[in-house]
Amino acid sequence: MSDVQEATNQLLHVNLHENQRDTHVTESVPRSESEHLRVTIGATVPTGFEQAAADEVHLLRSVDNLFVVVQELKDYQFKETKEKVLKDFEELAGKLPWSDPLKVWKINTSFKKKKTKRKKLNQNLSKEKIDNGRDKREERDVKKELSNNSLDSHILDYYEKPAIKEEISTLVGDVLASCKNETEESLKEDTDPEVLKFRVTCNRAGEKHCFSSNEAARDFGGAVQDHFKWKADMTNFDVEVLLNIHDNEVIVGIALTEESLHRRNITHFGPTTLRSTLAYGMLRLCSPQPSDIIVDPMCGTGAIPIEGATEWSNCFHIAGDNNPLAVNRAANNISSLLTRSQIKEGKLSWGLPIDAIQWDICNLPLRTGSVDIIVTDMPFGKRMGSKKRNWNLYPACLWEMGRICKPGTGRAALLTQDKKCFTKALSGMEHVWRKVHTVWVNIGGLHAAVYLLNRTPLAFVHPSGQDKEELLSAKND
Amino acid sequence: MKLLTHNLLSSHVRGVGPRGFPLRLQATEVRVIPVEFNPDFVARMIPKVEWAALLEAADHLRLAEVPKGPIQGYEQDETFLRKMHHVLLEVEVVEGTLQCPESGRVFPITRGIPNMLLNEEETET
Repeated sequence: MSDVQEATNQLLHVNLHENQRDTHVTESVPRSESEHLRVTIGATVPTGFEQAAADEVHLLRSVDNLFVVVQELKDYQFKETKEKVLKDFEELAGKLPWSDPLKVWKINTSFKKKKTKRKKLNQNLSKEKIDNGRDKREERDVKKELSNNSLDSHILDYYEKPAIKEEISTLVGDVLASCKNETEESLKEDTDPEVLKFRVTCNRAGEKHCFSSNEAARDFGGAVQDHFKWKADMTNFDVEVLLNIHDNEVIVGIALTEESLHRRNITHFGPTTLRSTLAYGMLRLCSPQPSDIIVDPMCGTGAIPIEGATEWSNCFHIAGDNNPLAVNRAANNISSLLTRSQIKEGKLSWGLPIDAIQWDICNLPLRTGSVDIIVTDMPFGKRMGSKKRNWNLYPACLWEMGRICKPGTGRAALLTQDKKCFTKALSGMEHVWRKVHTVWVNIGGLHAAVYLLNRTPLAFVHPSGQDKEELLSAKND
Repeated sequence: MKLLTHNLLSSHVRGVGPRGFPLRLQATEVRVIPVEFNPDFVARMIPKVEWAALLEAADHLRLAEVPKGPIQGYEQDETFLRKMHHVLLEVEVVEGTLQCPESGRVFPITRGIPNMLLNEEETET
């Protein structure tokens, strides 16, 4: 077991954050040949997938947000009144060990500048002029660290997959907008290069707090401002200070990612778009093997197949839905993916191993036993469909999915909030599906589950239409 | 729609069952989009391919140089694998139709997406 994995196991710390949990990994950031910066990196992942994320946190596909931990305060003693609690936060700001985490933040920021030159155009036009003098020095330090810094490669890995903002069409808009802003900014801006802009984001979860996250952010932020003499700016900030409070635990951190990684691949959103990190977790549960055929028969905007085509390009992915809007959105998202990979590779229009089809889940136009893996987000009944419809839909889905899935080796990862309906539908299908694992997840406040099913070795026999109707209605009784 | 996908598609018109495969492919617009060559992927796909269906579809698209079947030692034969890679993944039907061989029902392909939805009567017994 590597050092990092050992550290992960020791430090694996579960923290409930509305929908998210933190996992910690200790990273070593070499500063020079003799000295080493030792910091803890925290990450938030979709609730339920902590272990999966911890296993491969370096790949950054399971995590939503990365941050450097400034201090972790377990068993924090909150005073009884709001005034006292907020005063404590103010005093806390000055006592924290900021310097090493800020160094890491600086390294991260300078990587961002190199990798995302376009982003510079957007926001840092004026800053760049000021920073030019310092850039040369930073570049030298950065180059020394590149050779023996494992953390670097993971930050680079993240930036290899640019966030949504870097789509060409929006870029053009941004450049035009920033040209307008540039003149305004350079008039207003301080010429002092050391003055950073910051904001504090407070995430609070817990029953017994007598204060709100806004109040904590405000007062803590005030103290941070006094301490560093930074400027507060809620939207156009350099440093994002995180104040994460869960029950009796307080973690202060500095964000390393600007935009949650979970929105990375989707440019065209629909009413219920699944987070990429969650899609990734579900796919990974199925352990895709090279040349596996992976189908999402209710793909919506295509979040799961798109994540699949990006991460498991040695498999073939099919996105299907009955709704023409959904299929078109999925196709658009696939095209956007192609556009981005074109820019990255410098190649002329390269395709991906993915196709989109409009179909009905209850009557899939796929050969029996032709699919290796099925991963899908089943209608919850809250935003799409209704609970009553699930009662009829779930058994029909499981039936068709059982038919197309390869006996013996096939498997399915199905996400649903309607656990009762699902369990009932599954109970009549033991000859086809065997439940092997359940992952409990939190989707926007809803408690849902991902069921991992194995397809039994029993081959599917085509019944006559009559038989099938009887079997299905019998299950509904 | 790629030919690998066509190889998996089967008509689900009521009563047709396994006789709904393969769908007869016609295309009015086809394009070729390069896809990164992964020899391992192609080699593992070969045993899963329904060859007759693939050859028929390739024939309707008037593709040249399509191998008639797996050759001896295909796993190491890069020329063979590259040809298969091209046929399965790089040829895309943008506009066309898929026809059920048993019922004659036609499914349209628009902007690369086949529409396999049936209407009420076709799904009832």
